Amino acid sequence: MYKLILLLFLPLTLLAHLNIAVSYPYIGALTKSIGGEHIRTVVLAKGNWDPHFVVPRPSLISKVRNADALIMNGGQLEIGWLPPLINRAANPKTASDAKTFLNLSWHVELLDKPADVDRSGGDIHPDGNPHFHLDPNNILILADVIKKFLISIDGEHKEVYEKNYLEFEGMWKSKLGMWKAKMQDKKGLKVIQFHNNLSYFNQAYGLVNIGTIEPLPGIPPSSKHTFELIRLINDEKPCCILHDVYHSTKTAEYISDKTGIKIILMPHDIGALEDIEDLSSLFEYLTGAIR
Amino acid sequence: MKKILTITALCASMAYAGADVLPVEKRTFEQSKFIPDISLIMDASFVHRSVSDDEAPHLEVPGIAHGLLGSHAHEGATHTIYNENNGFNLNYAELVLSSSVDPFFTMDGVFHISEHGFEIEELFFTSNALGDGLRLKGGKFSSNFGYLNEHHHHAWDFADMPLVYESFLGMHGINEKGVQLQWTAPTSLYLMFGVEVLQGDNEQMFGNKTIGDSEITTISKYANTPSLYVGYVKTSFDIEDTTVLAGLSYARGSSRIDHSSDEENPHAFSGMSSLYGADLVIKHYFDSYSFLALQSEYLSRKMDGEQYSNIDTSVDPYTYATTDMTKKQSGFYSQLTYAYDKNYRFGARYDQITQNEISVSSAFSPENMNKYSIMAEYHTSEFARFRLQYNRNNALYNEANEQQHIDTIILQANISIGAHAAHSF
Repeated sequence: MYKLILLLFLPLTLLAHLNIAVSYPYIGALTKSIGGEHIRTVVLAKGNWDPHFVVPRPSLISKVRNADALIMNGGQLEIGWLPPLINRAANPKTASDAKTFLNLSWHVELLDKPADVDRSGGDIHPDGNPHFHLDPNNILILADVIKKFLISIDGEHKEVYEKNYLEFEGMWKSKLGMWKAKMQDKKGLKVIQFHNNLSYFNQAYGLVNIGTIEPLPGIPPSSKHTFELIRLINDEKPCCILHDVYHSTKTAEYISDKTGIKIILMPHDIGALEDIEDLSSLFEYLTGAIR
Repeated sequence: MKKILTITALCASMAYAGADVLPVEKRTFEQSKFIPDISLIMDASFVHRSVSDDEAPHLEVPGIAHGLLGSHAHEGATHTIYNENNGFNLNYAELVLSSSVDPFFTMDGVFHISEHGFEIEELFFTSNALGDGLRLKGGKFSSNFGYLNEHHHHAWDFADMPLVYESFLGMHGINEKGVQLQWTAPTSLYLMFGVEVLQGDNEQMFGNKTIGDSEITTISKYANTPSLYVGYVKTSFDIEDTTVLAGLSYARGSSRIDHSSDEENPHAFSGMSSLYGADLVIKHYFDSYSFLALQSEYLSRKMDGEQYSNIDTSVDPYTYATTDMTKKQSGFYSQLTYAYDKNYRFGARYDQITQNEISVSSAFSPENMNKYSIMAEYHTSEFARFRLQYNRNNALYNEANEQQHIDTIILQANISIGAHAAHSF
């Protein structure tokens, strides 16, 4: 019995230097790219489910409890699930005022900041649209923020983190050029979405979102709004519905039936679709999805 | 002179207007950024019950609890339950305030405001700064005993409390002043241990006040306080998209249950009581919004002490009869909830008292007591929920010891505004 207890305790202290909990898979991948072998990342949310609605399973409390640092997306994307986990875990290293806590949204310019914050406008994000990682240009900013963060909590491996960052930057910049070229002829295309997940992606490549299937953020589709959307599609002739992977495509299919508009599934994170295994393949897919 | 007046008036109005538009961050003593998170939750219902409001408070779960339905006066205070009357009920407005205090503490306050008054439901500080998985809480709070106990009414899947909880502990469950220390083990498996030292005021099962104190007589002396101790262990793991959460809990404390001034059959109990609990939640998620959840809890209690009956407080010294009494009572509830999507949710629950042994042979202690409930919910958003519930309650008896079969339909509205509520598992 004693041996068994010892076994349960051992792995956590021996595995890696830094045990970093992150809210979403993209943050995990980015952190791993910079941290390399000196860190271990623990991803809390699943990549194929709605990032707004993560189940606060008690097993996640243990993951936060055992973390040396926590990196979150921020912008209130985690508001419905991360606060109780942090509270239950009672880990001083993952307290929101700890120097081992990083809120990425503070380092990015947020789009769609509502002028008027009122829930009659749906379940809005008062700080702006939090899906900023879907602009591939932001990924470099975030990588730099994570590099500085890792150095600030583990100065011993400063050179390694800087070297890893430079490698990542070089790789990413060459891909940015490729993706830009791929998306060149898509500039000005009108699109419909379910929820405005792709605001940053659209901005990066000049796509214009003209409507969403949900009438207001977080409010499920209504028939009245759907009919208005069908009229809008007939008038404006957008190229396609860019649909997330976690909402039902039922309403989109209905709209497609009535208007002939294409539905394109757009993954929002690593693991959202089977082939999306890393950050590059996520943007490779996104930039190649509209044909 | 006129000119001077005009200029003065103009300057004054300019200065006034200037002060009016000073942005928040430039106001020297501005403190509005420190406003805590605030939310307000209302719970209202329409009830149709097959017994009248006059009859309901006189029904009891024999040997276990008095008056589960309707309000009853006790020691000058009116105790009300939710969904008390036939027709419309305003159950409560729940005001929640929470914020960090300093780098070491957070504070939470949960206040219930109802037509019967103001109640501090919870008011506690929490320290997450201890490290090593330790978490300390102090103040008034709902104990983490079992699963349902620490969840607020508006987070329950049914409008009323399971039979075994309500009849053993009352509608607030174990809600006490005291301290709580919890420790989460540094393992990948979720393993949490907790201990609580509580005042022990719960008057349905525990309590610590002197019973029947007159100049000459004391029926039973008070118990030393704090008088209630709670301990539990909880564990949880995931199998793919299914989460299992299980716990074992134990509470022990003195009992001083005082019905000496009741009109009918005045009696009292004094002794020590133990409560054992086992809880199990299995929740399977089909996607981000749809799940099927099984939730079950088994409670068992043993109360050991003296029963005082035929109390007459009109004479001094009081007259009464004393009998040694041991009660062994158990029950469980089991419920299945299915969330179809973000909007619709359905549920069914079965409650039963499985054991009702009282060592006094004259005591009436039936065992075939149960309750069936079904419900359907519609959520317009995360912030508003409407629920239709039907119960059939076979656990209540009238004064002639006849079993009643009570049908209840409850249409409940639960609405919240303010800070985003994040619920724990």
